[in-house]
Amino acid sequence: MTTNSQFKRLSASREYIADSYRDPFSVTSIAKNAYMSPFHFSRTFKKVYGETPNEFLIRLRIEKAKKMLITENMSISEICERVGYISVGSFSSLFLRQVGMPPTLYRRTLWALSSEAFRYPSQVIPSCYAYHFLGKSVN
Amino acid sequence: MIKSIAHVTVYVLNQDQALDFYKNKLGFEIGDDMTIEGGFRWLTVHPKSQPLPELVLAEPKEGPMFTKDASEKIRSLIEDGAFGVGVFETEDCQKTYDELVAKGVEFTQPPTEQLYGIEAMGKDNSGNWFSLVQQAN
Repeated sequence: MTTNSQFKRLSASREYIADSYRDPFSVTSIAKNAYMSPFHFSRTFKKVYGETPNEFLIRLRIEKAKKMLITENMSISEICERVGYISVGSFSSLFLRQVGMPPTLYRRTLWALSSEAFRYPSQVIPSCYAYHFLGKSVN
Repeated sequence: MIKSIAHVTVYVLNQDQALDFYKNKLGFEIGDDMTIEGGFRWLTVHPKSQPLPELVLAEPKEGPMFTKDASEKIRSLIEDGAFGVGVFETEDCQKTYDELVAKGVEFTQPPTEQLYGIEAMGKDNSGNWFSLVQQAN
């Protein structure tokens, strides 16, 4: 069972990861700050939040990248750097694994679907919302 | 068979202010915050430990869904507290209640023993009510 103090430390660590997602990540040092062993920290983190600290960081970085790809006119390598990755190759592979398509294709596909520059197309939200709030037909 | 609930709509008066409430007072985190073509802001939040279902914080603006009259009526009903978000669970109702009160969250009922546990009732900053429940073991 996760004690109250453990939960507080986990919560603080999670916020730290979220705030410093661009920086190099070390589970050992974060676990140390939470007064836990890396293994115990990762296991407890997953039990509470449903994902390991590393999975949380990857998800966060990819979500930030997805947003930048649509709303910013930066190159893929700039976005890669902005979300904390050094190698564009590693970033692209990770993006492909998480999103199902490479960053370039993701941007091209969504930009082509949207009628307005740097805005998401209505297809990214459930159709019932697109229909009711935007008057977009389902197909 | 339906597996789970993914999104639940909560009508709010102002998305920025609602986001401030759910994020900075209740401690939720943002799921999505995207401006869709046509200007609709798709804004979702969820508790940190529960990614789904997400609350979709939506303004009842005049548009395809609402006439001007309907929009004004909905806004007025929200302000009057006619709508509820639902029930939020906590491991310690009194403690969470104290924390939220300290952050300025308005409650209409302090933690009270019920058949199903301990419950407090509060309002978000639009006027939507919610329950804070510590389930009985």
